[in-house]
Amino acid sequence: MPGTATEDIPQRTGKITEVNMMTEHSMMEVAERYIAGSLSQDELNTLKDKLAADLSFANEFGECVNMLRGLQSSGAQKRFTSMLKDIAAQEAKPATKARTITLRAFYVRTAGIAAGIAMLTSLTTYWAIQHSNKKIASQYSLLKRDLEKYQRSQNQLINNIKEQATAPQAEVRYTGTGFALSNDGYLVTNYHVTAGADSVYIQNREGRYFKAYTVGYDQQADIAILKVEDKMFRFGKGEVPYTFAPNKRKLGTKIYTLGFPQDEIVYNEGYISAINGYQGDSSQYRLEISAYPGQSGAPILDANGNVLAMITGKEEESDGTTFAVSSKALARLVQSLPKDANLRLPKSNKLNHLSLEQQIEKLEYYTCSIKVYKK
Amino acid sequence: MQGSQQLEEYLLAQLAAGERTATEQIYKQHYPVVTKWIQHNGGSEADAADVYQEAIVVLYEKSQDEAFRLSCKIGTYLFAISKHLWYKKANKRQQDPVSLPDDDRQEWAYEDDVNAHKERENYYSQLNAALEQIGEPCKSLLKAFYHEDKSMQEIASGFGYTNTDNAKTQKYKCLARLRKIFHNVQVK
Repeated sequence: MPGTATEDIPQRTGKITEVNMMTEHSMMEVAERYIAGSLSQDELNTLKDKLAADLSFANEFGECVNMLRGLQSSGAQKRFTSMLKDIAAQEAKPATKARTITLRAFYVRTAGIAAGIAMLTSLTTYWAIQHSNKKIASQYSLLKRDLEKYQRSQNQLINNIKEQATAPQAEVRYTGTGFALSNDGYLVTNYHVTAGADSVYIQNREGRYFKAYTVGYDQQADIAILKVEDKMFRFGKGEVPYTFAPNKRKLGTKIYTLGFPQDEIVYNEGYISAINGYQGDSSQYRLEISAYPGQSGAPILDANGNVLAMITGKEEESDGTTFAVSSKALARLVQSLPKDANLRLPKSNKLNHLSLEQQIEKLEYYTCSIKVYKK
Repeated sequence: MQGSQQLEEYLLAQLAAGERTATEQIYKQHYPVVTKWIQHNGGSEADAADVYQEAIVVLYEKSQDEAFRLSCKIGTYLFAISKHLWYKKANKRQQDPVSLPDDDRQEWAYEDDVNAHKERENYYSQLNAALEQIGEPCKSLLKAFYHEDKSMQEIASGFGYTNTDNAKTQKYKCLARLRKIFHNVQVK
């Protein structure tokens, strides 16, 4: 054994000296990588030799490792505890009360809002119209895709009894677009999409339906916040990847959107053409981007994956002029929700370093089609 | 029974990962039994809620150990830990000293977990005390990284470092400093 050790020395002396010269902060770095298990086999060997040879180094290194582990676990525990407090606070109050009140008020449609929207062409698809539409070119494939989807969802129904129970029975009347506010099922769409609905379902990327209810809305700004009923529902694997712009962006900012003018998700791009929206409405932007029925409630994002706005309607006589309510108005509504809704807008942007294609790929999970049923 | 054991293991794994839904489910499921017991044993409603939350934290700590396997049901464990925590708390208040009735003796097996928890809490509070003394920008930077779970990228942009490497170097310097302060705190 001593023989092999001597043979190794010439090869390793360089590295050992490196360890000798370790400043305290590089020792922290090594300790951190040691805990994470990201040291190479070579580095690990050098470290082990050093630990065996130098007792005071071993003590110091041990202290570093313990402290880092302590920091990590105390941080994780802190986050866990605050989540737990949150759960406790939420459980202490009956959550259903606020919800029913909101829902009741939600069905009261005022003439005012109806008139306000009539001036714009609503982008909510009226399902019946879409089906009797004479744009036959793409219609055939659309129907075909529908059928496939239907078969697929049939299989899923067999696999998942719970889902079967919640699958919509009646025919869809209106569709719009919605997008996630939190991974656990909060989403946003236009008020006019869900107004007067008997029931609202969302259809996720895989074509599965989930029932949703309204937790709050702002008629004037035309925003409704929904929550998926199923508590186990998640949009994607992680938290929502985009953030919401706190302020209005500048004229000319390039923007893009994803929405459901048909059963398949559709991408489109454009720019901000005016800072204020329809009839100078400061809660809106005016955009130059084509939008079609079904895209009501679609997110408007900038190149860095910040949500700037949500499409609400378009100018009747034009092709490209679209209006979108700004994320600021949306944030205001989120803030006004009762505390037990426990909804906080995502704070960390996971899209800003991704290419557009990669951004879209992620976004697809957090954008959904909204199906509204009315008698 | 097999199914319910699987569910318990699943819930525990989710809890270990800090997943909210599972934690919520566990919390709700055992809340009534445990808190009722504490209230029957001289605790207020607030005491009961506090103790119960702490018991879940103990479970969370235990679950962080990968080798950890619960030898009983989650509910049984939480109940036993809650009892211990409550006795400790009640005794500290120096009301009539209470002790675990004889028929509950077997539950003393969990006392180690409670003691380990108390030690850990003590260690964490020393770490935090050191963190409070370290000064800016170290305090905010380390808190952002360890407490708020921010990425170095977010920290770099949030604290105005030109790149992630600079922020990392700063973090290691801060850690070295923290270690010195922490050492002093521990000696005291």
